Amino acid sequence: MTAPVTPSRGASTRRQWLKAAGAAAAGAGALAATVPARAAAIKTSARIVIAGSGLGGLAVASRLSELLDGATITLVDAKREHHYQPGFTLVATGVWPVDKVRDSNAGYLPDGVQWVQEMVAGFDPAGNVVVTAGGRRIAYDYLVVATGLHLDYAQIAGMDVAAIGTNGLASVYASPQAAAVTWGALDAFRAKGGHAVMTLPAGPLKCAGAPLKMTFMVADRLKQAGTLSASKIDFHTGLPTDTVFGVKVVNDAVLGRWKALGVHTHYLSKLVAVDIGARRATFATPEGERSTVDYDFLHVVPPMRAPDVVKQSDLAWKDGPFAPGGWLEVDKATLQHRRYPNVFGIGDINGTPRGKTAATVKKSAPVVAGNLAALIAGRPMTETFDGYTSCPLIVREGSAMLIEFDYEGRLTPSLPMIEPLQESYLAWLMKVRMLKPAYVAVLKGHV
Amino acid sequence: MYEIWLMANIVWEMALGVWPLVAAAALLWVGLLVLAWRRRAAAAGPAWTPALVAGALIAAVAFVAVPALTRSSLSELSYWVDWLSLAAIAAAAGAAAFAFAWPLVRLWHSFRSPHPTSVSQGA
Repeated sequence: MTAPVTPSRGASTRRQWLKAAGAAAAGAGALAATVPARAAAIKTSARIVIAGSGLGGLAVASRLSELLDGATITLVDAKREHHYQPGFTLVATGVWPVDKVRDSNAGYLPDGVQWVQEMVAGFDPAGNVVVTAGGRRIAYDYLVVATGLHLDYAQIAGMDVAAIGTNGLASVYASPQAAAVTWGALDAFRAKGGHAVMTLPAGPLKCAGAPLKMTFMVADRLKQAGTLSASKIDFHTGLPTDTVFGVKVVNDAVLGRWKALGVHTHYLSKLVAVDIGARRATFATPEGERSTVDYDFLHVVPPMRAPDVVKQSDLAWKDGPFAPGGWLEVDKATLQHRRYPNVFGIGDINGTPRGKTAATVKKSAPVVAGNLAALIAGRPMTETFDGYTSCPLIVREGSAMLIEFDYEGRLTPSLPMIEPLQESYLAWLMKVRMLKPAYVAVLKGHV
Repeated sequence: MYEIWLMANIVWEMALGVWPLVAAAALLWVGLLVLAWRRRAAAAGPAWTPALVAGALIAAVAFVAVPALTRSSLSELSYWVDWLSLAAIAAAAGAAAFAFAWPLVRLWHSFRSPHPTSVSQGA
């Protein structure tokens, strides 16, 4: 027998619903309090050219289109496909399908931003002009250089990017397709095991954690397949003894784990040549002494430098540690060019001490956009960048370390209660599920 | 504050990635709530307890299944932050299950009611 519904119950239910609505409104209000305050847009007729449509270029374009009213913002890049590069290691180790790292640039172009679909062929910073591959000259008042970097596979004799995926040849950096076929090569290798040779050149690298992640994952895939004990993993680096990563505490933590996994490290040993058909790699010491090793699986990490268009321009460092790579000469705090004050740099191209990751762009895009907007408005530039970089360092399938650090190599965890060197499921979860949505929010200029 | 804003954006972008599913679920939920509201007079059985049980069951299943669904495993949870995160995810799944279960239970009770005429009381 059911009890009749009384008006008071109905009134009570109504009150409960109103309370729930009130609680939801309060929650929305609390969230609104976290929304960064934005000043009124600056009225300007400035012409701004952004060279490059990667994360840095699009993030700055999104932010400038919000900060400025009336500016002509032109993005110059022929690339139509957008790559989620932080996902390449997941593709190359069989965690993600390749389509998860492919997207379209057009979908992220902010309203009102013009897109010249040509590569930048030259910079004339004295004349405030960018020249495209098609010969078009685009004049600017302000320039943001976001070209990314050049993967210099050509420094490795015999290396053929088109051969990645064949004969045990792997390389995570070249492209989404290269990452996908790298997984094919790793999958075939782990079935039987054998000799894995991992490499790491000296010099600035984008995502310097990627070669380490690949090494961890090769070991893990072999272990899963039951072939680790029948295999040997050698890690050759051009860096000095006992160095595989630029932050000492992280470096030591990685080396400790590798020792336990049986990874053998070889220092001051730079990959200089590969015979793909014969599966033979040649390494050289700084003194020029060469040694050749046979391999079943080779992971190639190319030396990296600025693209020729920057390296050969007056925008590049002329002396100091960043001059040989032709990196962009920017002040590491303001990210403003040191000789051309109307030029800023963002992302991998910057000649700064550390940081060529998506996380670097996340924290530096507001600095570049804010300082550029201040410059246009005639106000002092107040935004400074501390070199923040983040690296979710995968140690095996299902676990990672969330490492964040600054220019000085100090660990700077966003959430202080998280121990950076602690292997964690949360760090893994962030890597495989949460960082791509965060990346998209950066592209849109929201965070 | 920045981390909260960042997390809100992450959740937003994740939802945008599956927005047809989210929109359909939201419509379904609102529809269930409206139906449950309109038939509240006929719903005479307890709804909170069964809905809470359903939510708790789903939370328990999520707690066990989420690591495997994210290519990890419970054995990888060796850190208190991991356990806390997984508990929060499971609680969220349980809350969502509860939110759907409550109107469903109310409706089930209303359709089982021997007093169908009482439905009009809510109109």
